Amino acid sequence: MKPRYALLGLATIGMVYGFSWASRMPGDAVQGESARIISVHVPTAWLAFLAFGMTAVFGIAWLVTKRAKLDHLAAASAEVGVLFTGLALVTGMIWGKATWGIAWDWGDARLASTAMMFFVYLGYLALRRATPDPVQRARRSAVLGAVGALQVPLVYFSVNIWRTLHQTQSVRPDGASLPTETLISMLVNLAAFTVLYLGLLLWRADQLRVEEARLAQTHLTPNAGAAVVPPKLQPGS
Amino acid sequence: MTFRKQAMIILRRDLRIEGRSGEAMFITVPFGLVALFLIPLALPLNTELLSTIGPGMFWVVTLLFGMFITFRQSAAESSAQKEQLRMLGVDPAARFTGRAAASAMLLLVFELIVAPAMIVLFAPAAVPGWLAVTPLAILAAAGLAVIGTLAADLTASLRTRSALAPLLVAPLSVPLLVPAAQGLESIRTKNGILIPALFMVAVVLAVAVIGVVTAQPLEETT
Repeated sequence: MKPRYALLGLATIGMVYGFSWASRMPGDAVQGESARIISVHVPTAWLAFLAFGMTAVFGIAWLVTKRAKLDHLAAASAEVGVLFTGLALVTGMIWGKATWGIAWDWGDARLASTAMMFFVYLGYLALRRATPDPVQRARRSAVLGAVGALQVPLVYFSVNIWRTLHQTQSVRPDGASLPTETLISMLVNLAAFTVLYLGLLLWRADQLRVEEARLAQTHLTPNAGAAVVPPKLQPGS
Repeated sequence: MTFRKQAMIILRRDLRIEGRSGEAMFITVPFGLVALFLIPLALPLNTELLSTIGPGMFWVVTLLFGMFITFRQSAAESSAQKEQLRMLGVDPAARFTGRAAASAMLLLVFELIVAPAMIVLFAPAAVPGWLAVTPLAILAAAGLAVIGTLAADLTASLRTRSALAPLLVAPLSVPLLVPAAQGLESIRTKNGILIPALFMVAVVLAVAVIGVVTAQPLEETT
């Protein structure tokens, strides 16, 4: 069995276990049932940070070694990151609507900076699509991946730098400010989502490798129309 | 030739080309002023509201139209020009530095023209002193210039360059725009601009270092 299937299976089991803990969470006195969304929201946000960090790492490694596999891993990581940033934004908005009464608050630094990070990596994917040459694509996206990663610490620490609506980190070095069931559910899902990331990363990187090989093959074979030659007209006919 | 000398030559070249073509000063600057003029027309007639949003609009116009200054056609080098510079032994990092410095100077001029227009059109409640605003304006111009120059290099020779480059620059400029806006607010509330300015310095340095370090690998692609 390919490792990616094993990883995806393991992630599914982990998520089922994590969600079972989420169902046992006590309803929050202020937030009510909406507090359960933390077991999905935090892991998706964590995965986005991890994915974008790894995009930079794979990109820089590509610049050093020039191994195509690293470029595929960087691209796959960015794609997974964009997907999970989108999910983190949506789950955050659902939670915000239930808790704060509004889905989006422009005054909140975490929301605004996460949205901007999302757009940076949409730009990353757009740059990849717009660059036809594989080496040029890998090189340019590696540089952009390194610049884009500067946003990750900014988004993470935005709640500490600017004291706005979004609460600070729930789990800090000085201890967690969560009930045990909530903490277990969040941590189990954190691990399960990390395994899910690895599975999706390997899967998508493999697809990108096949796509690139197919494209290279297409460029080697002449077009079907090339076999058709226009008839030569005889003088006087 | 030293790195500094090479960068200075590129800077002078870019400014001379701009002086002859006037692309940034005679096209982008008036366009930015028109945008600043249009904003109040799209809002309800409320002087208080306009004076509140004025400084923010100044930064938004600087960001959106400043991008066009960094992507100006006269700053785009053809493959032949790049080949020539390479044969002359010009360091790609010096080329990046010189181009970014030229864009930063043009952006600063853009800010100098747009800021009085904003004060006249929006009449902000408290007009901060020039001395206090100068560091923020310089840092914003420098930051936008390095990000724009890097984006121009990343999208060089692509068919979708004109749309793609702004898509890269706009979100990457947010770490500059937010502290710049906060800095103006801090001046108004007399809290000092040290923290926002230091934040902007960190962003400018980080992007400049990445731009200089990756200038050589990016040069190989085009």
